[in-house]
Amino acid sequence: MFLAWRDLRRSWRRFVLVGAVVALVAVLSTVLAGLADGLVRDGTSGLRALPYTHLAMSPGSEAVFSRSTVDQQAATTFAEVPGAEASPVGVSFVNAAAVDGGPSLDLALFGVPPGSFLADRPDAQAALAGPPGLVLSSTFADEGVEVGDEYRLGGSDVTLPVLGFTVAGSYGHVPIAFTTLSTWQSVNYGNDPRGRVSAIALALPAGTDTAALAEATDTDIITKARSYDGSPGFTAETMTMTLIRGFLLVISALIVGAFFTVLAVQRTRQTGLLKAMGASDAYVLRDGVGQMAVVVVAATAVGTGVGAVMVALLDRTAAPVELSVGSIVGSAALLVATGVVGSLVSFRRITTVEPAVALGVEP
Amino acid sequence: MSPTTTPPLSLRGLGATVPDGREERVLFDGVDLDVAAGEVVVVTGPSGSGKSTLLAVAGLLRRPPTGEVVVAGQPTASLSRRGRTAVRRQQIGIVYQSANLLGPLTAREQLELAGRIRRMPRRQIGAEADRLLGDLALGDRSGQLPAELSGGERQRVGIARALMGDPSVLLADEPTASLDPALAGEVAELLATEARRRGVAALIVTHDDAPLRHADRHLHLVGGQLVDGTGVAS
Repeated sequence: MFLAWRDLRRSWRRFVLVGAVVALVAVLSTVLAGLADGLVRDGTSGLRALPYTHLAMSPGSEAVFSRSTVDQQAATTFAEVPGAEASPVGVSFVNAAAVDGGPSLDLALFGVPPGSFLADRPDAQAALAGPPGLVLSSTFADEGVEVGDEYRLGGSDVTLPVLGFTVAGSYGHVPIAFTTLSTWQSVNYGNDPRGRVSAIALALPAGTDTAALAEATDTDIITKARSYDGSPGFTAETMTMTLIRGFLLVISALIVGAFFTVLAVQRTRQTGLLKAMGASDAYVLRDGVGQMAVVVVAATAVGTGVGAVMVALLDRTAAPVELSVGSIVGSAALLVATGVVGSLVSFRRITTVEPAVALGVEP
Repeated sequence: MSPTTTPPLSLRGLGATVPDGREERVLFDGVDLDVAAGEVVVVTGPSGSGKSTLLAVAGLLRRPPTGEVVVAGQPTASLSRRGRTAVRRQQIGIVYQSANLLGPLTAREQLELAGRIRRMPRRQIGAEADRLLGDLALGDRSGQLPAELSGGERQRVGIARALMGDPSVLLADEPTASLDPALAGEVAELLATEARRRGVAALIVTHDDAPLRHADRHLHLVGGQLVDGTGVAS
């Protein structure tokens, strides 16, 4: 790196262009990482906030609540497992029309029975124990909805007052509203619910044989993390973001590779000279690839820093972003790794330079 | 032959060809040459006679199709690419026509790099570089980049770089070709003087008169053969 460092210091202008491109890719990659994390958070924050470890759902429902219908009595079977807690839960998307003619609300309506372990906060327990009503996500309070406002839930004749607000998050990018399980059943099944719910939420002790439990209850038991996959748009969003970030990494690697190839061609005589002086292929490669690694690391650090600031600023707006250090550092590390791999494209071009070119003699 | 009389550079039955259309043209064939320690041998020849190729082969930069190069008593014909690089690193210094200095390095750093490549002990590199630059009257120019040096200074730095690590063989390819006559004479004298003072076997190829005036032996490459060049104009 003796030559590489001095070349960087004295000929830094040559590296500005490639550095700027890598930095821009890092900015974009960081913002996308923030957006991907934000979208995941926004789509599943409601589920993440609930204290369950597993869900028991209809076989083949693939973690999608709208495809799953189980009998709420199954909860008693699960509750017999030592140390386990179980609660039926109903989940559906509804439109709530303001009775007084105000704007309607789109809700991810969660129905939970009074006393459920899912309603672990005292205010939530109190709301579920009282007369029927809605406990809305606190985002609605910011939009002017007030306690006491009445809403008619779409597709039913059920009209409910707003009982209060809680930090409930959202599901499938739709703010969550809690109500009692019986109210939820009335909204979805009218007067004939027949004990139908979307799933049984479980808090199982570690080491529980979920396979045996699933077989005994004729359900699919999925982990909490797996339950996020059923969130509307979750898989598509995650795959889209992963694809875009993947393309960015490939583009970055190609840019670095192309730049380094041009540099390697320009340096053919210099490479020959170093070899004529007795430098090994490894020495010359170390110098060249090390130099590109320095450029890529520096550009990525700058780009990632700028990107992190942008994510932090966006986080103050309505944009669904999240500043996750692990994700952003991981994204930067990948960018550095692919940049270095890109510079290795010229591996053969460097190793095959003959020292005789230093004398201008054909090898 | 005792080790003390082993010439640092021996060329044995050396041949080389270059592509000429679909055929190979013989540049030289059966060249034998010994260069003793401290001896300055100058090879002249017409353009295209193969002088630079002879130097590339002697410097282990190119593998000869026939014959062998023996450096400091070590035959090199059977050596791998890596082995030849190692011999080059330890035993051979090369001076180029246009100095061939590295743009981003100062005069001193050119020598430091050579020292590092030749795996000299780190603590000796700086002192050796300063000593060489001083010997070649470049002490006050050590911090200058090649672009800030005159042609003669660049060539002197090139000579100093070639001498880093005390090689036993010094090869020079048209070392005075890009200099005006006064500077050419100065550089040629310096090259010969340093080679003799350090006991280095020096082989210089040139079409310039300046190195001839300081040669111990003058050979002429013509018709693929090395012949006595005494009396032959460069």
